[in-house]
Amino acid sequence: MGSDSRFCHVRGRPFLEARDVTKTYQVGAETVYALRDVQFAALQGDFVVINGPSGSGKTTFLNLMSVIDRPTSGDVFIEGQSTSAKSEGQLALLRKTKIGLVFQSFNLIPVLSAAENVEYPLLLQKRPPAERRTRVAAMLSEVGLDALARRRPNELSGGQRQRVAIARALITGPMIVLADEPTANLDSKTGEAVMDLMRRLNEEHCVTFIVVTHDPAVSRYAQRRVRIHDGQLIEEDVGGLASPAS
Amino acid sequence: MELKIALRNVFRNRRRTAFSLTVIAVGTAVFLFVLAYVGEALLSERLSSACETGAVQVADERLFASQANGYDHLISPELQARVVDLVTKRPGVLGTSLELDFAGLIGDANGSTLVVGRGLTPCDCVPNTTCYAIEGKPISGGDAREAVLGRRLAAKLGVDTGASINIATGTVTGNFSAATVTVVGQVSYSLGTVEEQLGLFPTGFVQHLLKTDGVERILIGLDDLNKAPQFADELRRALAAEGIPLGVRTWQDLSTGYASSQSFYAAFSGLAGISVFALVFFSVVEILTISFLERTREVATTRAFGATRWRVFRGFLLEGAAIGAIGAVIGVVLASVLTLAFNAARITWMPPGSAVPQAIHLSLSLSTALVPLVTVILATVASSVYPAWKNARSSVVKALQAV
Repeated sequence: MGSDSRFCHVRGRPFLEARDVTKTYQVGAETVYALRDVQFAALQGDFVVINGPSGSGKTTFLNLMSVIDRPTSGDVFIEGQSTSAKSEGQLALLRKTKIGLVFQSFNLIPVLSAAENVEYPLLLQKRPPAERRTRVAAMLSEVGLDALARRRPNELSGGQRQRVAIARALITGPMIVLADEPTANLDSKTGEAVMDLMRRLNEEHCVTFIVVTHDPAVSRYAQRRVRIHDGQLIEEDVGGLASPAS
Repeated sequence: MELKIALRNVFRNRRRTAFSLTVIAVGTAVFLFVLAYVGEALLSERLSSACETGAVQVADERLFASQANGYDHLISPELQARVVDLVTKRPGVLGTSLELDFAGLIGDANGSTLVVGRGLTPCDCVPNTTCYAIEGKPISGGDAREAVLGRRLAAKLGVDTGASINIATGTVTGNFSAATVTVVGQVSYSLGTVEEQLGLFPTGFVQHLLKTDGVERILIGLDDLNKAPQFADELRRALAAEGIPLGVRTWQDLSTGYASSQSFYAAFSGLAGISVFALVFFSVVEILTISFLERTREVATTRAFGATRWRVFRGFLLEGAAIGAIGAVIGVVLASVLTLAFNAARITWMPPGSAVPQAIHLSLSLSTALVPLVTVILATVASSVYPAWKNARSSVVKALQAV
């Protein structure tokens, strides 16, 4: 890594955009600002790492970008379309078709095998069984888990679980994957392997990745690095493109 | 896959599931047992009614209307022969019995008491049923001078089988008539007051005693009691065509108590169903609530991936239905085993109004099993509605933070 050509980066209209996004919470009589007038845009193929200490608003930002939460003011645009007026069902459809999610605690469904967990989003899309099987097999192979397809999450290591979660996020062919502290529950070596995998998939599938983390090691993978502080986003200069090897 | 997920979730916490399944299975088995008992009781009552009245009965309309005066309603021998001839040609007829009742005194030198006598001609008129449980010799045909006395009547008179006893009554013309008969057997009857006065005699003998050759009723046995209304309609038309001035009634027309029993047993079954529903509902609702709330974050994850609230809600309902169905099937198997054991024990009882004690034979059919099956599934689905709704409505953001 270390050169522009290593990233699938398509210039043009932003795929995901936050305009003047503010999110407040009411704590008793006091209004707490989790995010304040945030401006953000992600292009297709971006690999963005958002850093910030605990409580800085990282997860709130991710929830808003993945449209599982709504801003107090401002708007989130996906493919240029405002999401503020969309119904719960329309937002669910957006998540189902355009967005992949990776969680800190993997959030795999324990009663399903690795393959079934990966298959689940396709089930939500009502894809036919044959197509589901083919795509799941290909995706598990891509993340190196084809031999563990039948295992339940409790039979997998933390790294393997996170790879299943990544495969699940990518199986529907989303435009963007939002990852919340994907390495937080992993040891450093496994964390690196997971980040390598995400970078590779970013390059190969030209999928936008937005990774929220407080782990400085993850920042090394960033094509764009954004710091979040007191509810505001500050774009940082990565000095060309950072490389995990550098 | 939704069903697969539901089934796997059912068995996620085995201890809780075992408790739920036990409650559901026991509820189903008890309900099914109640329904089987009700079915048996109603069947016994149908058969007892058919023994008393015949599947179809032919008699003078005045008798049916309780407007008979003395013996003016008796059916003449000529009409008896024509009716029997008309009836026996028809398919499904098992036979006919000619009956003639009287009231009189019965006794010996030690004393006498009231007897309600029934003259009858022997007939296997009710399928697979012995209408009178007689200890000793059954009633012969013809005009033999013999009697089968109600057990209590025999005890009251202090007579036993083989004893001679006197009968006295009025003839159809109002004269005094008496005869001596031999007691050949004793009969049981579910109603003590009836058993205390009941005497069965050959119809020919009663005709001789009453100085008549008429009978009051012609009882017709059919191989299927359900065909009685249709048979009665056809017979009515046939009698009218032949110019025979007699009325026709089915066993249902004459057994007014059967309709009351049906209503009683329907209410009893309904109450049992409601009780089982409530038992299952309240036992399972808390377990499902805990079980569903434990999966708040899982639900949030699926919703984050685009599952709609309705899909989540439906998934939980499916889980409720799955646990209900599994428990119900276990309950049906349990009830079947209990039924086999119960039938093997050959417990007998005397159905209300019956003249004969019957071995209780509970039978479970698919249609009988369907009622408790549907009841408990509805109960478990109903008990999953609130926790499912609550979980499906929860905020994804908050739920994702749940531990």
